[in-house]
Order: sequence, then structure tokens, then C-alpha cells
Amino acid sequence: MQLTVVGVGYVGLVTATCFAESGNDVTCIDIDAGKIDGLRRGVLPIYEPGLEELVERNLREGRLQFTTDMGHALAQGKLVFIAVGTPQDYNGAANLNALWGVAQSIRELAGESKIVIVKSTVPVGTNRELAMRLNDGAHIQHHAVSNPEFLKEGHAIEDFMKPDRVVVGVHDAALGQVLHDLYAPFLRSDHPFLVMTPESAEMTKYVANAMLATKISFINEMANLCEAVGADIGDVRRGIGHDSRIGFQFLFPGAGYGGSCFPKDVRAMVHTAEGVGYTLRILPAVDEINENQKKVLFFKVTELLGTDLYGKTIALWGLAFKPGTDDIREAPSLILIRSLLGAGAHVRVHDPAAIPNVKAVFGDRITYCDRVYHTLQGCDALVIATEWAEFRNPDFDTMRQVLRQPFIVDGRNLYNPSEMSRLGFVYSSIGRQTVMPAAVHSQERRAA
Amino acid sequence: MKIAIIGTGYVGLVTATCLAESGNSVVGIDKDASKIALLESGKLPIYEPGLAELVERNRRDERLKFSTDLGACAGVQLIFIAVGTPESASGASDLSSIWAVVDALAAVVAPPQIVVIKSTVPVGTNRIAGERLSQRLGRPIDVASNPEFLKEGAAVDDFTKPDRVVVGVRRPEVGEVLRELYAPFLRTEHPFLVMTPESAEMTKYAANAMLAAKISFINEMANLSERLGADINDVRRGIGHDERIGFQFLFPGAGYGGSCFPKDVRALLAMGRSVDLPLRMMEAVDSVNEAQKRVLFSKIRKHYGTGLSGKTIAVWGLAFKPRTDDVREAPALMLLDALLKEGVGLRVHDPEAMGHVKAIYGDRLIYCERPYQALEGADGLAIVTEWQEFRRPDFGMMRQLLRHPVIFDGRNLYEPKTMDAAGFTYYGIGRHGR
Repeated sequence: MQLTVVGVGYVGLVTATCFAESGNDVTCIDIDAGKIDGLRRGVLPIYEPGLEELVERNLREGRLQFTTDMGHALAQGKLVFIAVGTPQDYNGAANLNALWGVAQSIRELAGESKIVIVKSTVPVGTNRELAMRLNDGAHIQHHAVSNPEFLKEGHAIEDFMKPDRVVVGVHDAALGQVLHDLYAPFLRSDHPFLVMTPESAEMTKYVANAMLATKISFINEMANLCEAVGADIGDVRRGIGHDSRIGFQFLFPGAGYGGSCFPKDVRAMVHTAEGVGYTLRILPAVDEINENQKKVLFFKVTELLGTDLYGKTIALWGLAFKPGTDDIREAPSLILIRSLLGAGAHVRVHDPAAIPNVKAVFGDRITYCDRVYHTLQGCDALVIATEWAEFRNPDFDTMRQVLRQPFIVDGRNLYNPSEMSRLGFVYSSIGRQTVMPAAVHSQERRAA
Repeated sequence: MKIAIIGTGYVGLVTATCLAESGNSVVGIDKDASKIALLESGKLPIYEPGLAELVERNRRDERLKFSTDLGACAGVQLIFIAVGTPESASGASDLSSIWAVVDALAAVVAPPQIVVIKSTVPVGTNRIAGERLSQRLGRPIDVASNPEFLKEGAAVDDFTKPDRVVVGVRRPEVGEVLRELYAPFLRTEHPFLVMTPESAEMTKYAANAMLAAKISFINEMANLSERLGADINDVRRGIGHDERIGFQFLFPGAGYGGSCFPKDVRALLAMGRSVDLPLRMMEAVDSVNEAQKRVLFSKIRKHYGTGLSGKTIAVWGLAFKPRTDDVREAPALMLLDALLKEGVGLRVHDPEAMGHVKAIYGDRLIYCERPYQALEGADGLAIVTEWQEFRRPDFGMMRQLLRHPVIFDGRNLYEPKTMDAAGFTYYGIGRHGR
């Protein structure tokens, strides 16, 4: 099939590339000429494991084209995917300006009836309005279809090629069949293709992210309570997860969720609900818990080092909002860095992917380290904000030697507290009791 | 092993019976003489599928005995405390039964006997119980925590094939004794998890809190779907295939009830208050659920408008969930109260719970032995509990018996399209249109 994909951001680029990989001819259009130029040369505007290789192959074999010319792009086929950004407005609502701009272009430039498929995450009711904007009083009538994307940054290719499920929202079953044919190569192992109304499809995307965010805020709330009453969230997690109605997934306590989806989508839902006179209770709680949780790392640093951090040096491992991505939007690490700088501390950071993005925010106000242990030099404490695999089994002896003080605040519960105590660290984590070095205890006992 | 179980309520009786069934010699102790007399006559104070048969067999084989005398603890190796910990006025757990048992035990127990708390108790209870008992005895005694995760309606199965067994101990040796006790139930690799008593106590609350949170979450999403013209059932299908989410326990409905979720969520809130930690999520879960219990009534009132008074409504399902006779905090009760207050006549049916409801409402309701009987001359039907027998009814007969073919389905048992075609005005939860 011939497809047009509007927007070469995260979702658009992955969608276009994967559809090209399954044999379609895909034309990508974006208004950002710099991005398009880069892509033509095989340079990607984002980091995603495996994507670069796929883009290159499909470019070479001529199934993937990039253009800034909308008229050209719309002349390439019947299916038009819209994957433009829907960022959060100042009031929490999703900003749909880019989407409406595309609708206007299709109305003006398309020479034949199009099937316009919205991949962007948009509030319930957007599809209905899109159909009106495309068609009201127009000479050519287009179809508006909803097809939310569920890919995870860091696993996007895999998620697109082997989806848990594909959701499409249509009013006309024949349109569902067109999309089914397109997705068929990815549904070979009986993954479900779910057809519903556009409203339900739009809602599905938000509810999925809301449920995941709810699980994170739930376990963080429980972790904070565990800390306060002397229980261990690690044991509690083990204790509840074997119940198949609960499970283990997405119930990891931490420093709060970030990224471009959960925070934005939760707030957009709160805003949407207000618009229809319904007051949500769970989701505002989810958001509030998460905002507080992002401050927990700084609070734990002051618990270990005292509230006067002026002139102290703190090492930070992990900047991306999660491993496997360079995305730092709404990342807990940013909140911590701002608080530490505000308190007059020096900050030395390391991240395998996100340093360029953080540099763009903080410039030379913090020190960037390419190597993990180098980050620790002369530091009074180490904070771990992202659970990159390379932090999971470090050389603790080297760490203790390089750090000025053996203090660790672990925002992702990567290590075993009693083991850290034995290794001589003061170790503070989430939802578990802070441990002191076992050796210090015995020295103190000897001294006494 | 020789075991005493103090408390013959839901948890105590199931625990005693299942431990006897695996070959132990068990005495169930309760201060309520009438309960013990009932049990000794071969009857059960509660309804639970499969339990009566097990009690009878183990009594006959003399592995299970009952007593009102705490002295029966003499000579046993393990003493389980399974007394009630109801909600107090403040929302915190009322532990008076626990302390009464602990204090009375001081006169009859001695190490190396092990006391095991099975009741759901706030974090820290184990520590206080251990200190209190040891102080009175003048020497340390082991007090373990072993929260129970059984579900009403599936309790025997849950006990004999547990997802996991959680024990909280301060000495590994105590964990080993409990592991031996549970070994017959753990033969298919179900995990036996040993942790501190504090973590074990917390585990029980966290498990119920997560389940309650899932219910309130999906109810909130259902209410929003309804207002935005989406269908929560499609949304459920759309999210459930994500294995990080799954399908389980994400059914929209008329709110959760029963003796555990509402009480445990509020006990958590009380625990949070005691350490100055407001629990925003738990507050939201509780308030969403209280509102959800009124949703069916709102739909009924909206449908009939000012003509509601004097109408007759049939109610199918009174128990807080199927396969139990338990009506504690059941959404049905809130609906009955609200409808009675509006002057509505009520014809009710439940396969198990009518006895308990009769004890509360007496002759203010008409009790119908058969589901269809409840529909006779009614102006509408409200479905509050998803008993199996309501899932595939004869819609033709229902339409004939009802004076007006209106159904308020608090459990989304039917497909709106089918109901529309069958000539019903049909209201579900979070479904498109109504």
C-alpha cells in the first residue's frame, strides 16, 4: 500500500519505518526542514534502539521517503496517518493546533478522498471534530479514523511489530478492514485487532496510560507508608505480586514517573473530565503523588547530608526518565538537579544516552561525565535516578574508594540493603529502611 | 501438628477446617457459646461452598473439635488468632478482640508454643502483641504474622491452593515451623514468603488496597466514558491485552463492598494519619467507591424523574459479590435504603443473602424465592450482584413479567445492542448512550 505519515516525531517515525519494513511505500512529511534533511541522510532526530538501521535499509530500498512538501506527500496514496505532537497546554489540556493545521492542509490539498488516521494521542471527541473540519461544506469527503499508538520508548520497534493489540476506532466496518489488511503482517501470532468507535479508541489510549500511572503512584504511596511504619516495600511487593489479580508488573517503587506521556495524559484526562462536569478523584491523586515523589530524592539527600548542601558535591547516575531512551521530559532527575543547584551544591552527572539533552537545559552549570566511576570523584553522595542496566551490578569497592563519603540514595531500589550495609555504605532507598555500614557499627562497638 | 485456632468466624473456621483436612489435630475456640453449639451440631454460622462437607468429615474423623475454653490451647504447638478486627468510628481497626485474646492467652501459653496472628491488623500490632505477651509471661515467646488472603466464595480452594503464603517472623526457626505446616498446600511450587512481621502485616493491606484501587479506577473511567460517549467495555478490551495491565479486577460496577476492602482501605488511611502521611490515592479510592454505590440509584431516579415514588422495583442480587451470603457494606443495601426513602416498593431476590437482608429490613421488602417472581408487576429491574444465574436469563419471560421493560444493570451483564433489540430500555455502567 501507499501511505503518507504526517509528523516525524517519535510515533510518526516509528510508524512510517515499520510500515515501510512490512513492504509499504511510505512518504513522511514534516514542516521541520532540518529534521527532514537529516532523515534523508539517515540521521535520526531521536534515539531508539534498532530504528536507525531500519530507516537506513528502507531509505536505501526506496520504500521510505522524506519531504517537507505537503502537496507531494498527499499525492502518494489513500491512507494518511497523522502523528503530530499534542503537547500539554498551560491548563493541562492537549494542544491540538498541529492536528487542525494538518486537517486544513488535507482539505485544501488532497485531490481525492482520503482515509485520515489519527495516531496522535487526542482527547475523546477529537475524531468527531476532525471529520467535521475535513468535510463540512467540502467538495471531497474524507474518512476520519482513530488508531492510537501504544509503543514504549526503548522498545518501540518491537512494540510496533509485535503489538499486544491494535485498536482502531471507526464508524464504518469497511474502514476497519482496510486497517486490518495493513496491520495483518504484525498480527500473525494471534494478537487481537480490536474495532470499536472512535470515542472508545481515543479513550482507550488515555485509560491505558492512566492505569499504568495509577499503579506507579499506588506503589509509591505504599512505599512511603512502609518507610514510615517500618515495613519493607520489596517484601510487600513480593507478597502481593503472586496474586494473579495484582501481578508484579509496573509495581516498582521509585522516584516518580516522567516522560512525554503519563504526566501529560493524566492531566489531559483531568481537564477533559472537568469539561463535562465530572470531577475525577483518582487521577488528580495520581498526579499529586507523582509530583511529590519526584522530590523524594532531594529530600533523601538532605536526610543523609543535612539541609546545608552548600559546597557539597553530588554524583547523579541516570538522567533519562527511564532506561533505553534519551528522553528527559518531566524526568525526576531534572527536579533533583534544580534543587541541588538551588541549595548551592555541585552536581556531576552520567547517563548513557541523555547527556546532550540535559546539556541543552543546564549548560555548564553541572559537570558531565562520560564514565560511570569518574562521576563519583570527590562526591559526598551518589544519587541513582534511572535504572540503566549498567548501574545494576557496579564494582562497589571502586565506588567506595572514589566517593568522598560512601553515601548512596537509590531512587530505583537497585541494590539489597543488607548487602550494602555489609559493603560499608550508608544506603537510602525507596520504601525501605535506610541502612548504616556494618563495619562502622563494629568499629564503634570496639571503640566503646 | 496440634493446633488451636481462636475465633471461628470466616477466616478462623476455614483455617481450622483446612488444617484439619491436611492431617493436623485442630481445636477451634470461640467465646461465643451459641456458635460453638451450632458447630458441634454440624451446622455452620456462615455460607461457604464446600466448607460444610469438610467440617463434617474432619469432625467425624476427630481431627477437628470445637471448644469455648481457651484452656484447650494446652499442649498445642501453634495458636492462631483469627478474631475480628472491625472498623472503629475513626476508621482505624478496632483491636479490642485481639488484645482480649492476647491478655487471656498469657494465662495459658508458654514457650516453645508459637502464637500466630491471622487477623488483618495494622502494622505494628505484632510487635505490641509480642511485647505484651512476653512481659506477662516474664520470658520471650514467639509471635508470628500470617495474613490470610482467602476470597469469600472460593475460600477452601484459596486456602488449599494458595497463590502464596506470607509469614512474618523474627526468628527463621519460627518460619520453618510454619513452612512445615503449609507444606501440604505448597506442592505445586506456590511460594512461601518469609519476611518481617511488619512487612507481612503491610502486605495484607497493600493487596486489598491494590484491588480496591483497580475497582475505583475502572469505575472512575467508566463514569467518564459514559459522559464522553465512549464504551467502557471496549476500553476494557483495549487496555487489557497490555500484560502490564491485564483484564483481572477491572470490571466496572456498582462499587465494592464486603468485610475487607472498605475496612482495610480506611484502616490504611488511619495508619497514614498516625504517621502524618496523607494517603491521597487511598482517600480517592474510598470516596470514588462511596459515590459509585449511589450510581444505580442516580440512574433510577433520573429515569423515573418525579414519578419514582409509588413505583415498584425488582432487585436481583443483594450479597456484595456472588457465591457468598455476606451483605456487609454491600452496594445493594445503599440502593434499598435510597429507594425505600423515595417510597418505592421493592421485590428482591438473592440465592444466598436473603436471610441476612431480612434480618435488617424485615417486612419492608418483598422477598422472592425465584428471580422471575421478583419481576412480577415491577416497573423496572436493578441488578446489583453478578450471580451466574442472572447472566443468561429468558429475556422474553422477563419482558412479559415486568410491567415496564427497564433494566438498570450495575454489573454490565448484557450487551446494550442485544437488550435494545429485545425491547428493553437498558442502563449499564460506563456504556454508551445512557
